[in-house]
Amino acid sequence: MTADVQTQKAQVLGVKGLVKRYGGRTVVDDVSFHIQAGETYGLLGPNGAGKTTIISMVAGLIPAESGAIELAGSAMTPANTRAKGNIGLVPQELAIYPDLTATENLLFFGRLQGLRGQGLKDRIAEVLNLIGLADRAGEQTKKFSGGMKRRLNIGIGLLHRPTLLILDEPTVGVDPQSRNSILESVEGLATEGMAVLYTTHYMEEAERLCDRIAIIDEGRIQAEGTRGQLVELTGGADRIDLHGSGNTSAAAAALRLLPGVQQVDGGASGLILTVHNGPGLLAPIVAAAGRAGMTLTSVEIVRPDLESVFLHLTGRALRD
Amino acid sequence: MRSILGIAAVEVRLFLRDRSNIFFVFIFPLLLILLLGSQFGANSGQSRVALSGGADTELAKALSEQLAEDGVQVSAAGAATVRDQLSRGRTDVGIFISDGDAADFAAGRPADLEVVTASQSAAQAVLQEVRASIQAVSTERRQQSLLESAGVGTAEAAAALAQARETVEQPRVELVDTGDVSREFQGLGRFDLGAAQQLLLFVFLSSLTGAATLIKSRRLGVVARVMAAPVASWQALAGQALGRFGIAAVQGGYIMAGTALLFGVDWGNPLPAGLVLVVFCAVSAAAAMVIGSVMDNDAAAAGVGVGAGLVLAGLGGSMVPPEFFSETLQAVSRLTPHRWAYDAFADIQRHNGSLADILPQLGVLAAMALGLLALGSYLLQRSLGRAL
Repeated sequence: MTADVQTQKAQVLGVKGLVKRYGGRTVVDDVSFHIQAGETYGLLGPNGAGKTTIISMVAGLIPAESGAIELAGSAMTPANTRAKGNIGLVPQELAIYPDLTATENLLFFGRLQGLRGQGLKDRIAEVLNLIGLADRAGEQTKKFSGGMKRRLNIGIGLLHRPTLLILDEPTVGVDPQSRNSILESVEGLATEGMAVLYTTHYMEEAERLCDRIAIIDEGRIQAEGTRGQLVELTGGADRIDLHGSGNTSAAAAALRLLPGVQQVDGGASGLILTVHNGPGLLAPIVAAAGRAGMTLTSVEIVRPDLESVFLHLTGRALRD
Repeated sequence: MRSILGIAAVEVRLFLRDRSNIFFVFIFPLLLILLLGSQFGANSGQSRVALSGGADTELAKALSEQLAEDGVQVSAAGAATVRDQLSRGRTDVGIFISDGDAADFAAGRPADLEVVTASQSAAQAVLQEVRASIQAVSTERRQQSLLESAGVGTAEAAAALAQARETVEQPRVELVDTGDVSREFQGLGRFDLGAAQQLLLFVFLSSLTGAATLIKSRRLGVVARVMAAPVASWQALAGQALGRFGIAAVQGGYIMAGTALLFGVDWGNPLPAGLVLVVFCAVSAAAAMVIGSVMDNDAAAAGVGVGAGLVLAGLGGSMVPPEFFSETLQAVSRLTPHRWAYDAFADIQRHNGSLADILPQLGVLAAMALGLLALGSYLLQRSLGRAL
C-alpha cells in the first residue's frame, strides 16, 4: 500500500548519468537518482565523496560535464533561472550577511526569489516562527549563536516555499540541542509535501530523516534504497568493534579463520568485524584476539546500521 | 532590474553600516579639506584687515577710508577680538592703534603702528597692500602738514589736496602673475582646489576599501546563494558593480555637497561637474571589483586598497597639484584616472569649462571605467567559479 502511494506522487527531481571532472579527476561519476514530492532523500558519504558537487549541479551553480537534471519538469542548467526558483538551497557555509538583521537577510533573499510586499512580510514572520527566531528578528546576525545562524540559514532556503529544498550538511558545527531542533524542523518539511535532498556524513541523521538514502563514495553511488533495503545488503550481519593495541594484524588473520566471521577490517583504534550472530561469537573472538597478541580495551557489538552498510560496501568506516 | 538594485542596495547599506566609516567617510575628508584650505588655500576674495583702537580718531578714519579705497575689506573690533580673528585665520592683517599713535598722527608727528599678520600664506600679500595704504595716508598727512606750515588754512589745504588728487593722475602699480603655474590657480576659492583633490582621493579610497564587502560576500557563500536564486549571472555581476558605484557616489556626492554648503566651494557648472563625478565613480567602482575579485582576504584587500588608493592619488595630483610636477611625472600622472578627473574639474572650476571642454577627459575616464569593468566582471565570474 505504501509503495502504491509513493508511486502516485509526482517526481520532483530526476538526475541521470551525472558526471563532473576537475582537472582530469572525476569527482562525480555517473550519478543517477530521483526524488518525489514529500520525500526526503539522503546522500550519505564521507567528506570529499562528491556530495556538495552533486548538489551544486542540481542547484544550477555549476554545469555538469554530462548527464541530465530534470527539476519539476524542466531541464536544470546554470542558465535556467526560472527553474532555480523551484529550489531552496541551504549551503554548508552560513550564507547570511552578519551585519544585517535576521529580518533584513530574509527580506533580501526573499526579494531575490521574487517575493514582494505584504506577502513577503507575512512569510518572513511565518519562517521566523518556524525557526524559532521571532524574538531576535531585529538583531544583527553576527550576535547570533552558531545554532541560531544555522536555523536562519535554513529559514532563508524555505522562504519562497520551494518545490525542492537542498540541505548541504546543515548540522555541521552545531551543538546537540540546536542540532536536534534543526532535525525536527526538517522532519516537519516532508509532511508539508516538500521534497528534500539532504547531504550528511552523519549516519544517525540519514537514518532519522531520510525515506531513501544513497550511499556515495568517491563520486559514485554505491547503493541506494530505504534503510531496511540497505541493511539487507550486509546480509543482516552484526558488527563487532574490537578496540585495543598489540599485534592487531596477527589478530585479524586469526579472526578471519573463525567460522561465522565474514569480514575483518582495520579501524582507527583496532579491528572491525562483520559477523553472523555477534553475541554468540563474542567469546571465541575475544579469545582468538588475545591468543594472537592483541590486548583488548573494549568490545562493542553493533546491530546492522548504515555504518555497517558503508563498511560492507567500501571496506572503510564512514568517518575514516 | 529589481534583483540588480536589491543586490546594489545591500552593498551600499553594508558600507554605511560599518561604524568605522562614520569617521573615515564622513568626517575625515571634510576636516582635511578645511585644514588644507586654511593653510594652503588661495585667498578666496577681498583682503581682510581688522582695525583695533583709535575709534573716531583722525588716524583710524583716514586708514579705514584709504584701505577701503584700495579694495580691502575693513572691520573694527576690540584688541582681543582682532587677535582671535587673526589666530583663527578669519582676518589677514590686524592694525592696533593706540591713543598715542592717534595723537601723534593728529599732531603731524610720525606714529608707530602695531601691525600683526595671520599665519595663512595669503596674509603676507595683504600686508603689502596694508603697507601701501599706510604709506598713502602718511604721504597725504605730510602734504597737509607742509601746506599748513606754509600758512595755508586747514580747510584750504585739504581742498587743494583733494583737487590735486582729482586732476593729477596718480601712478598706479598693477601686479600681474606671469608664471603659468600662478595663473593656473587664479580665481580659485580658498577651499576649491583642496576639495576637488580630496574628493578624488576619498572616492577612490572608499571604493577600494569597500571591496572588502565583496570578498566577505564571496567567502560567506552569500554570492553563491544569490546565484542559486532565480537571478542570471550577469544580473548578479551588475548588482555588485552597481553596489560599488553606489558606495563611490555616496562618498563623492557627500563631499561635493558638504564642501559647497560648509565651505562655499564653487564646483562650477553642475552638469559637467556632476558628470565628472559620475564617470570617476564608475572607474572607482570597476577598480574595486577588480580588487574584490582578485583577492580572497578582506583584511588584506582593505590594506591593498588604502595603499593603491594613496599612491594613485599622489601620482594623480590629489596630494600635490600636478601643475608642480616634472615633465616625467606629468606623463606618469596621466596613467591615473585621478589626473584626468583633476584636469576636468580644473577646467570647470577655473575656466568655467563646459561639457564640450571636458569631453576628452570624460572620454578617457569612460574608457578606463569600461576596461576595468570588463576585467572586474571577468575576474569576479572566475572567483565565483572558485567559490562554488
